[in-house]
Amino acid sequence: MQTTFAAFGKRSLRAVTKQKAVIAILAMLILMLFFKTNFYTSYNLLNVLKDAAVNEIIAFGVTLTVIAAGCDLSVGGVMCLSGIVSIKLINGGMDIWLAVIIAVLCGALVGFINGFLVVQQKTEAFIITLGIGMLIKGVNQQLTDAHPVSCTNMEYMKIANGKIGGVVPNLALYMIVIGLLVYALLRFTSYGRNLYALGGDYDVAKYSGINVVATKWTAFVLSGTMAAVAGVLLSSKLNTGSSIYGDDTALMVNCGVVVGGTSFAGGVGGILQSFIGLMVLQLLGNCMNMLGIAPYIQQVCQGVVIVAIIWLDCYGRKRKREDV
Amino acid sequence: MEKKDSGIILSIKDVSKSFPGVKALDNVSVDIARGIVHGIVGENGAGKSTLMKILSGVYTKDTGTVVFDGETIEHTTPIESLNRGLSIIYQEFNLVNTMSVGENIFLGRFAEMHGMRGTHAEARKLLDSIGCTIDTRTMVGDLSAAEKQMVEITKALSFQSKLIIMDEPSSSLTSDELKQLFLIIHDLKARGVSIIYISHKLDEIFELCDIVTVMRDGHVIDTKPVGELTRADMITKMVGRSIEHEYPERPRCAGETLMEVRSINTHKLHDISFELKKGEILGLVGLVGAGRTEIVRAICGADKVHGHQVLINGKPVKIKKPADAKKLGIGLLPEDRKLQGLVLRFSVQSNIVMASLDNMTKFGFVDSSKEKGIAERQINNLCIKTPSAQTQVLSLSGGNQQKCVVGRWLEINPQILIMDEPTRGIDVGAKYEIYVLMKQVVENGGSIIMISSELPEVLNMSNRVLTICEGRITGEFNPETVSAQTIMDSAIG
Amino acid sequence: MTKRFSLKNFLLNYLVLVAIVLLVIITIMVEPKFLSGENLTNIMRQFGPLSFVSLGMTFVIIGGFIDLSVAGIISLVAVVTVSLIDPLGQVQALIIGVALGAFLGFLNSMVLISAGALTQAEALFITFGMSAVYSAIALIYTDGATQHMSWLTGNQSIFDAIGSGTVGILSVSFLIFLVSLGALWIFHNKTYNGRAISYTGGNKVAAELSGIPIKRSVVLIYTICGLMAAIGAVVLFSRITTAAPIIGKGYETNAILSVVVGGTTLKGGKGSVLRTVLGVLLITLMSNCMNLLGVSPYMQIVLKGSILVVAIWLDNRKEQ
Repeated sequence: MQTTFAAFGKRSLRAVTKQKAVIAILAMLILMLFFKTNFYTSYNLLNVLKDAAVNEIIAFGVTLTVIAAGCDLSVGGVMCLSGIVSIKLINGGMDIWLAVIIAVLCGALVGFINGFLVVQQKTEAFIITLGIGMLIKGVNQQLTDAHPVSCTNMEYMKIANGKIGGVVPNLALYMIVIGLLVYALLRFTSYGRNLYALGGDYDVAKYSGINVVATKWTAFVLSGTMAAVAGVLLSSKLNTGSSIYGDDTALMVNCGVVVGGTSFAGGVGGILQSFIGLMVLQLLGNCMNMLGIAPYIQQVCQGVVIVAIIWLDCYGRKRKREDV
Repeated sequence: MEKKDSGIILSIKDVSKSFPGVKALDNVSVDIARGIVHGIVGENGAGKSTLMKILSGVYTKDTGTVVFDGETIEHTTPIESLNRGLSIIYQEFNLVNTMSVGENIFLGRFAEMHGMRGTHAEARKLLDSIGCTIDTRTMVGDLSAAEKQMVEITKALSFQSKLIIMDEPSSSLTSDELKQLFLIIHDLKARGVSIIYISHKLDEIFELCDIVTVMRDGHVIDTKPVGELTRADMITKMVGRSIEHEYPERPRCAGETLMEVRSINTHKLHDISFELKKGEILGLVGLVGAGRTEIVRAICGADKVHGHQVLINGKPVKIKKPADAKKLGIGLLPEDRKLQGLVLRFSVQSNIVMASLDNMTKFGFVDSSKEKGIAERQINNLCIKTPSAQTQVLSLSGGNQQKCVVGRWLEINPQILIMDEPTRGIDVGAKYEIYVLMKQVVENGGSIIMISSELPEVLNMSNRVLTICEGRITGEFNPETVSAQTIMDSAIG
Repeated sequence: MTKRFSLKNFLLNYLVLVAIVLLVIITIMVEPKFLSGENLTNIMRQFGPLSFVSLGMTFVIIGGFIDLSVAGIISLVAVVTVSLIDPLGQVQALIIGVALGAFLGFLNSMVLISAGALTQAEALFITFGMSAVYSAIALIYTDGATQHMSWLTGNQSIFDAIGSGTVGILSVSFLIFLVSLGALWIFHNKTYNGRAISYTGGNKVAAELSGIPIKRSVVLIYTICGLMAAIGAVVLFSRITTAAPIIGKGYETNAILSVVVGGTTLKGGKGSVLRTVLGVLLITLMSNCMNLLGVSPYMQIVLKGSILVVAIWLDNRKEQ
């Protein structure tokens, strides 16, 4: 028992140090020690978690598709869609929970279509989901006439706003619960292990009797579902549904997932990695806010960080290829 | 259990299979007995792998019957075969590189094994039972070829396999690893498991097998106990003709030094230095992974290697990328035709003119009329069987595809043509044509470096042989005077 | 050249042509105004910025990569050029603007080459990051304010001509488009570097081992893409006479859309700028028709998205 525990510790340490994302986070945390800001307050740190929650939840879903050697760039559109749908339904007099469920089902439906196109029809995931994302953006604009809609039922806001015990934001809690669920799904169920197997080698998984089509398809459905859940939370947090949110969300989240070390080649990565990868981008924003950096400069920095980290990722692979 | 058990585990009767234009299997019949090692030998294209794929369920047979363990099998899938107790270990392993050993053994059976802990515990037990000490939590991608083979065997055992088919299992093993494999096979045999051992290395067949079946051109030529066959018999049956006609007459070597390579050092290669003479065919012999390909890639600038020297006609040259090599008249016929050699979706013409395109360029513009001429010339010259120069190269047979790559390099009149496994995966007739082309190249004043895993072809075609073992040159031989055994010993180290 | 004519193959290869013809017929039946001279001029005008950007994007996709940074490039080039017209003069501003676009494209290629990025997905994310940087620089440069071409000071006859001038019945921008199209078509089909780009997209490893300069191809495709995006930016702001720092948003997906709809495969290696013209034509005609028919602009996005999805799906079928 002792030895397996030690081995587990060693393995997780190695997994963590292999990640550039962790180093980036540590660098930011250390850097912030040298400035007198409100960064190191429990209020701010909890806020970081709260702000990250929506994107993190999307990232958990996207991680599933990336592990299966795909990716999902339609999540931005889905996020907006579900927010708009739930608010419109509630404004139309529907019960809040029923509306939320329908909104989430919309996301699942989009995921189902993605899965059909990518898995069943064997199209290239990143480009087809980009197209689906664009399509949904049109739907969102049509639904809202390109104006933001706010919810008339104030109860709706309570879903995402509020704190458990007055300390931990609701959103952070949702994120942690969903994260743990997906973590367990990937780690402890045969569904999760099959997903890793088919991501690592599709044919071998197929020949081993894994129902590869259904498994990968489900990953896309789950990704759509989780993006929809995140969309409901976002619209509840802001009490607004709008088609303009989420233009960059899809690419940002997919970047974050890759930054964390879940590779597009498939078969590797996990929830923890994606969480950390997205945290890099989130913390970066928070740090820059704390340091009072102008928003446009922040955007430059964010772009540079994305390029730098993906550059490092590619470069590492290049070194490995050329390692003769 | 008490079926009409005649001691036969697998009975194949009159099985045929056709692909467009080829009859891959023609009324093949073989019986495999329980608890023996049954060898199947035959050249590339003899139909061995088609037969295996029909047994595993990757292909469906056209006619005939297959009876496995008393049960007639009409249509099957790979997983059904496994569950019946028939496992196949392919040359390219059926393992997921990004997963652990334990999970690979029980791939798709995570729930049956009661999760991660059960998986690893069971895997440990099975690995121990064949005396294998690999940690079940190691990533398969980090294993050596031999270790991967152990994992495959363990996986087969986990399905309670009654018959394990091994397709060219020794192609990437060192001699020690091969011995261990033989021990395991003997152990399996003692447990009553039948083994079909597919190989074209006759030594292994004689050492290991009880019964051997010889296949050629989709037919079973003969099935006999190993003791009743001599080596020469077997070869005659395999090739179906006397061996002298398999190769053209060995070209004469001129003698002057053309290229000199001095001290290539990487962490895989150690102090590689050698010379290539004008008009010479130099054979590089070694196991897969010994560093043969790395040497030629380093010479061509395909891999980034520093600190070595290449002299052509006594003058040092700088080759940083394949384009530099091309300017010096060095062409590389890569190992993997489909991934590294051809643009599969492009036409025959586009593939042929690929290397010589810059020669027909004036002020940056390509002369398209010349382009067509070149393609036609090479198609005629090499007898490439294609409907037209505009046909997609994808639709040609392996031999014709390879000829396109050869034609590409002939068009630049190469001083040095480097051929990495030039005859892999092409049929016997096309092989002969490739050999004749090689002869043409040296007769026109070029030199060839040839890498091959098929010892006979190196022995018959080259003027000089270098053996490579674990990244070092371990010997230099004259294939006309030295026996194959000596060369192989030197290559194995 | 002795290929037998097959209707099925023809339809599959030139589906976009069939779609265009059908679209025109249907629209004429429903709305005869379509054929009015006014509307045809309108179509020619709409055949604007997007077509330039798509031409450049065609090369990137043939080369086996993708470029999301055109959005950023268009924004940055537009604001920089407009802001320089007054201080430097229109010719200088134009030259600097176009050169800036080409340089930004070149910069993309340098980042990709140094990273050793080989796949479309890697290129997608790197150029997305670059786009964020370029857009942000555009915002910083203008402090978020829209740049106006001031009519009172300075001479801007060139931009006037590009924006609204005509030669005979053809608009100036359409002429520029035809010239670029011709030049790029010759470049792709007749020059060594153009052919090298196809080989690079077809199989990078094989191309490199055969001595094809694949790094040069990558530099060329991104530089051309940047250059064409810059020309597109000039046409765009000349027409509307202002340049907002987010002016380029959405052009990246629309350009990919036109290229793929035209029938250039995303798998790389095969395709043509002429096909892209058909793609652009279809998209342009479609929005024109839908405008005539009074379809809401949002529904148009939905339809465009559906067409993109269907086009990718068909492309995939064809390749199988």
